[in-house]
Amino acid sequence: MKKNLIISLLCACWCLLLVASCESDLPRFANYSAYDYSKLDEDGGSWTPVMLASPSQIVVPAPEDESSPAYQAELASLKTTMANLDGDQKKAVEYWTNNPIIRWNEIALELAAKYNLIPGPNADGKTYTLPNPATPEGPTPFPFAHPAYTSRMLAYLSVAQFDGLISAWHYKYLYNRLAPSQNDNSIEAAYGETMLPSYPADGAVIAVASRNILSAMFPLEKAYLEERAQEHLSSLQWSGTNVQSDITAGEYIGVEVAKLALGKASKDGMSKAQCPKNVSDSIAKSAFDRFGWKWENREEPPRPVGLAPLYCNVKMWSVPNVADVRPEPPPAIGSPKFLEAVKELQDIQNNMTEEKRRIANWWSDGLGSYTPPGHWNKFAKDFLIKYKENPIRSARTFAYMNMAISDAGISCWDAKYFYHYPRPIQAIPGFKTILGTPNFPSYTSGHSTFSAAAATILSYLYPNEAAQCEAWANEAAESRIYGGIHYRFDAEVGIEQGKKVAEYTLVKAQNDGAD
Amino acid sequence: MKDFTKICCLLAFLCCIGAAHAQTPLDAIMMEQRESCIALTYDRGSFDQYWEGTYLRKNATIAKVTRTTIAPMIAIGLHKKLNFYVGVPYVKTESSEPNGGFLYGAKGFQDLSLALKLEIINKQMGKGKLAVLAAGGFATPITNYLSDYRPYSLGNGTDEWSVRGIVQYKLDMGLYARVAGGHLFRGETKIERDYYYANGSYYTNWMDVPSAWEYNAAIGIWLFDSSLKLETSYYAQNSTSGDDIRKYNAPQPTNKVNFGQLGFSAQYYIKKVKGLGVLAYYSEVLNGRNIGKVTNFGGGLTYQFKI
Repeated sequence: MKKNLIISLLCACWCLLLVASCESDLPRFANYSAYDYSKLDEDGGSWTPVMLASPSQIVVPAPEDESSPAYQAELASLKTTMANLDGDQKKAVEYWTNNPIIRWNEIALELAAKYNLIPGPNADGKTYTLPNPATPEGPTPFPFAHPAYTSRMLAYLSVAQFDGLISAWHYKYLYNRLAPSQNDNSIEAAYGETMLPSYPADGAVIAVASRNILSAMFPLEKAYLEERAQEHLSSLQWSGTNVQSDITAGEYIGVEVAKLALGKASKDGMSKAQCPKNVSDSIAKSAFDRFGWKWENREEPPRPVGLAPLYCNVKMWSVPNVADVRPEPPPAIGSPKFLEAVKELQDIQNNMTEEKRRIANWWSDGLGSYTPPGHWNKFAKDFLIKYKENPIRSARTFAYMNMAISDAGISCWDAKYFYHYPRPIQAIPGFKTILGTPNFPSYTSGHSTFSAAAATILSYLYPNEAAQCEAWANEAAESRIYGGIHYRFDAEVGIEQGKKVAEYTLVKAQNDGAD
Repeated sequence: MKDFTKICCLLAFLCCIGAAHAQTPLDAIMMEQRESCIALTYDRGSFDQYWEGTYLRKNATIAKVTRTTIAPMIAIGLHKKLNFYVGVPYVKTESSEPNGGFLYGAKGFQDLSLALKLEIINKQMGKGKLAVLAAGGFATPITNYLSDYRPYSLGNGTDEWSVRGIVQYKLDMGLYARVAGGHLFRGETKIERDYYYANGSYYTNWMDVPSAWEYNAAIGIWLFDSSLKLETSYYAQNSTSGDDIRKYNAPQPTNKVNFGQLGFSAQYYIKKVKGLGVLAYYSEVLNGRNIGKVTNFGGGLTYQFKI
C-alpha cells in the first residue's frame, strides 16, 4: 500500500513537471510573414504628400546603370552576404518582412506603453515633478506618453513614413532599377520575386525615418532604436531585397523627411501644452465664471495642474481652427439631463455585469498601455495584413488615421479645458469606479473622440470593415460609461466630435490621388 | 492519541491559511483513517506600504488595502498515511477611506483547492520522532474574478499545481522543528485586455503567472498534555520569473512576487467540548518584492469527528 502510494505520487510529480515544461509562447508582435502585395501602386510617386511640396522635393541622384561594374560588384557582394547568414540573421529576415511599416509601428506602440507612466508624488508626499525634455533621464523620465503625446508621436511617425515613401516611389519609377533577383537569376530573394523597382530602398526610408522620429520622441531609447534600425537596414541585404546603393539612397530620403517632420514638431506648440499652475488656475476660473463649475483633480496628493491644459493650442494637421469643431456645452450640473446621466452611472456601478466589466477593461487602454490611439493602430495593422497592403499604402493608412486621431485629441482637449467639466467621482458624492479616473476634465471623452476619428478614416479606406469600425468606436465610447469615468453625454458628443474632426482629414485622403 | 489528532486538524488548517498564498498544508500532522475535520477560519491581512520592485513605498491612491478571507475547509483521513483536504475561500478586498483612487474593491469566492498529503516515514529516533511527508495540491478558480485587478483581485486566476516535501523532528517532551519546501506550478490567467506591457509588448489576453518556490521553517512546542501548541515559523516564496511593478503603476499577474513572512500561532483544544478546537495567529511580511508589506491576523474554529 505504502509503496503504491509513493509510486503514484512520484508519477504525479513527473506529470506536473511535464505540464510546467510546455508553457506556451505568448505573442510579442503581429504574427505575419512576408506576403505578395495586393498591388504595387506604381503611381504612388504622384500622390500628394502631407509635408513635402512635391514628391521630388528631396533630390535623389540617378543610380549606376545595372550593367555598370559598380552595380555588378554590389550584386556579387550581396550574394556573398546572403550565402553566409547565421541563425540570428535569418530570424531578422523573417521578422522584418517586406512590410516593415508594421514592425516600426509596433516598436512605436511598445515605447508608448513603456513610457505611459504618470509621474508619482515626490518623497515629500505633497509635490510632483513633471518630465522635462531638457533632462529626459529624470528624476521623472521623459516623456510621459499619455494618449495626447502618443497620438501626436504616431502622427509624426506615420506622416514621415508616408511622405518618405511617396518620394521613394517617385524615384523608383523614375529610374526603374529592377530588384537584385530580377537582375541576377542566381539571387533568391527571401520575400519572393517582385517587380517593385529597388532604388531607392523603401525599407531604408522606413528604417531611418522611423528611427529618427522615434529617437526624438523617446530620447532615452536612442541606442535601442539605433540597434533596431541597423538590424532592419542589414536585413534588406540579408533578404536579397536591396544592394547597398539602394539602401544609401533610401537612408538619405529617410534622414531628410524626418528632418522636415521634426522641424514641424518643434514648432507645433507641444512644448507649451503643460502650463504652470497660475495659468491652469486661470483657465479653471474662467470656466467657473462662465458655467458655474470647474473640474478638480481628486488624487492624493492632488495634482496642481491637469494633463496638458494648453494642448488645444497644438497645431492641427487638417483643421484650420480648433474652435470650429468645438462641441456645444454639456448639461449644467444639477440639470435634469445631468441627473439622468448620474442615475445611469449609479445603476451601472450598482449592478455591474461581467459583460460590462469586460468591455470597460478591454477598452481601458489606461496607464502603462499603448493608449486608445495605440489600440486603433493595432486594428489598422490587422487590416494591412488582411488586405496585403504594400508599404506605401500601409503608410498612407497610418498617416491619415493618425493625423485624424491627433486632431481629434487636440479638439477633445480643447473641449475638456474650455468646459472644465467635473468627473463623476467629483460630482457624485461617494461614487466609486472600476477604472482609474484620469487627470483631466470629463467633457468630452477622449476615447470616444479618438475612436470616432479613427473609425471614420478606416471606414473610408476599408469600406468592408466600416460596420466593424463603427461598432468598435461605439463600444469604446460606451466602455467609459461602464468604467464609471464618463457620463453618457461625454461619450455621445465625443463620438460626434471625432467624426466631425476626421472629415477634414478625410477630404485630404479623398483628394491625394491614391483612390 | 485522539486529542492529538484533533489538534492535528487545527494545525492543518492553520497552515492552510497562515501562509498567505499557500492553500495546502505544510505541516507534519496526519489524521487517522476515517477521521474528519471541518474548519472555518477568518483572516485579515492589510498593508499601507508595498514593494515596487525592491523599493518600499506608500501610495495614497490605494491608501491602506485590506483583504479579508473567510475559509471553510474539510480534511479527511483517507488512510492513516494519506489525508485529503478541500477548501474554498471567500475573499473581500478594499481600500481605506479616504483614498485618491476611488476604486471599488472586489469580493467573491476565489479558488477551489484540493490537496493530498502522504506520510512516507514516521519513526522513533533517539528521544524523538522523525516524520517525512510529501504533499501534492491543485487549486483552480471557481468564479470569474478578474486576476488583472491588483491589488484588489481575489487571486491569480489560474490553475496552480503544487508539490511539497516536509521533514519534522519532534522530541517526546513536545518540542519540535520542521522544514518544508515546495514548488508551485502556475499557468496562464485570462485577462480582459488584448494587449499589455511586461518588459515588452504582449498581444494576447493571457498572462503568464510566474511559478514559485516556497520554503517554510518552524519551531514549536506542545504544552499542557498536548492541548496547547505554540509555534513560530518563517515562510518564504520566490517567483521563478516575472517583471517588476513599474514606477507608480498598478501591479499585474505577470509580476515576480517574492516575500518572507514571520508568523506566530497558538492552538488550543477545548477539552470540555468534544472535538472542538480554536486557533489564533499573527504574521508579518518582513521583506518582499512586488507585494504589500502585509500584516495578517486571524483565527478559526475546527471541529473533528469520525466518519
